[in-house]
Amino acid sequence: MTPHPSDPAEGHTAKVFDAALSELRLNVITMGGLAIDQVATAVRALLECDSELAQVVLARESQLNDLERTIDREAFRVIALHQPVAGDLRMAKAVSRIVVELERVGDESKKIARFAVRVATGEPQGPVRAVARYIRHMADLTAGMLRDAVRSLDEADLELARGVTRKDSLLDDEFAAALRQLLTLAMQDQRYLGATIDTVFALKGLERIGDHAKNIAEQVVFVTSGEDVRHRKKGSR
Amino acid sequence: MQNDGSNKAAPGQAAGAPRISITVDDTRRVRSLNVKAAVDNLNFYYGSHQALKNLTIPIADKQVTALIGPSGCGKSTFLRCFNRMHDLQPNTRYEGSITLHPDNLNLVGHGVDPIEVRMRIGMVFQKPNPFPKSIFENVAYGLRLRGVRSRATLAEEVEKALRGAALWDEVKDRLQDSALALSGGQMQRLCIARALATTPEILLFDEPTSALDPIATAKIEELISTLRDQVTVLIVTHNMQQAARVSDYTAFMYLGELIEFDEAAKIFTNPSKKATEDYITGRYG
Repeated sequence: MTPHPSDPAEGHTAKVFDAALSELRLNVITMGGLAIDQVATAVRALLECDSELAQVVLARESQLNDLERTIDREAFRVIALHQPVAGDLRMAKAVSRIVVELERVGDESKKIARFAVRVATGEPQGPVRAVARYIRHMADLTAGMLRDAVRSLDEADLELARGVTRKDSLLDDEFAAALRQLLTLAMQDQRYLGATIDTVFALKGLERIGDHAKNIAEQVVFVTSGEDVRHRKKGSR
Repeated sequence: MQNDGSNKAAPGQAAGAPRISITVDDTRRVRSLNVKAAVDNLNFYYGSHQALKNLTIPIADKQVTALIGPSGCGKSTFLRCFNRMHDLQPNTRYEGSITLHPDNLNLVGHGVDPIEVRMRIGMVFQKPNPFPKSIFENVAYGLRLRGVRSRATLAEEVEKALRGAALWDEVKDRLQDSALALSGGQMQRLCIARALATTPEILLFDEPTSALDPIATAKIEELISTLRDQVTVLIVTHNMQQAARVSDYTAFMYLGELIEFDEAAKIFTNPSKKATEDYITGRYG
């Protein structure tokens, strides 16, 4: 037997299969990079009341949709033409699932960017300013989780993927704390009610992005170990 | 894997066949299976060359077990131990046992008559090998050898075997035609009918579709799937997808040793051993 290659998408006797799997994975990593940037840019646009920056996010949204379609089609083709089994099959299946998660990250970023446009063009800024610290922290956390999830796929790093699934609870705690802050604000001044609700949606969007990162990491755990860790209770491995 | 000691037969199972427990899939669920043949520490030698090394595998009753592995790994050698084909060659030697249940007959035991073994274990080869006789006589051959003389019984059994091999509808109007006039796929199904006629307890397939086109292959695979209701099947195949499609259990062999044995679904989605993964994903070489 030849030694197992460090790259999970390489080492096949049929090099054309290596190439197909490598391309699939590289495209997912490219899509992941774009999704991470969409989150960071949308949050920056919101916090800096920058309408132009928000428009960048809105304009790039279609790229994520195109990548989702292209990669999913490619994964389907790999399954049909190469009939992968074991780790290769898990990779092809997981890729199909991961691109859906990344596209949804794009959707959440788009919603935050639209809110940023409204805030930049007249909607009260009070609620966003009141929880700016939480928004920034949650954005950092989600971007970190997404980055680790995508990197864990790139490097087939099981421990890195498991780490992402554990970080999700930090995000939930931040979200709960920000909600308490906003509730206080809404009770103090009802003029901010509309903007407060929009801010809750933005926070909820970040929390959902964390869920998507966790789902991606769970797929990486499945690819690298064959273990299905979805819907496990917190704290269990 | 371990014997659960119950030695209890399942419904429809011949009394005396042992049950063993094997640990399967990711949840490490324990599944019991009825054992038709227990291979225990089997070694086989061609002269001084040891071709099989300490093989221990349970062959599940009325299930399909596939043997996969690269050329020269010993899978065909292993298959041929079951009906003592190696006895036809000089300087061959068996060690260990293949215990056929329910009567605990060691198929490779010294005092066991290979003819008796072959009466109970049928075999279908890579290349269809019908006798140069009529379709009817091909299937009736084994029955006649066993002393069946009644024409009515012969006709009944031949029809039953041809139906069992999914060939009856295609040949019922030309049973007296030469078997050599059939297509490759039909010839192979005729060979399966010939083997089924003598109601074997285990049916061995040595790459049964490697000489057939995709449609004929699909028919044989479908047939193997239906055969599991009546007979224990052991199949050697080079076609990984075929092993995945037709088998309930799969054994991966390499250099005469058993590397991994598990449910086929486990082997082809998440094998436990890296060597198995390398082979089935095409990284072997």
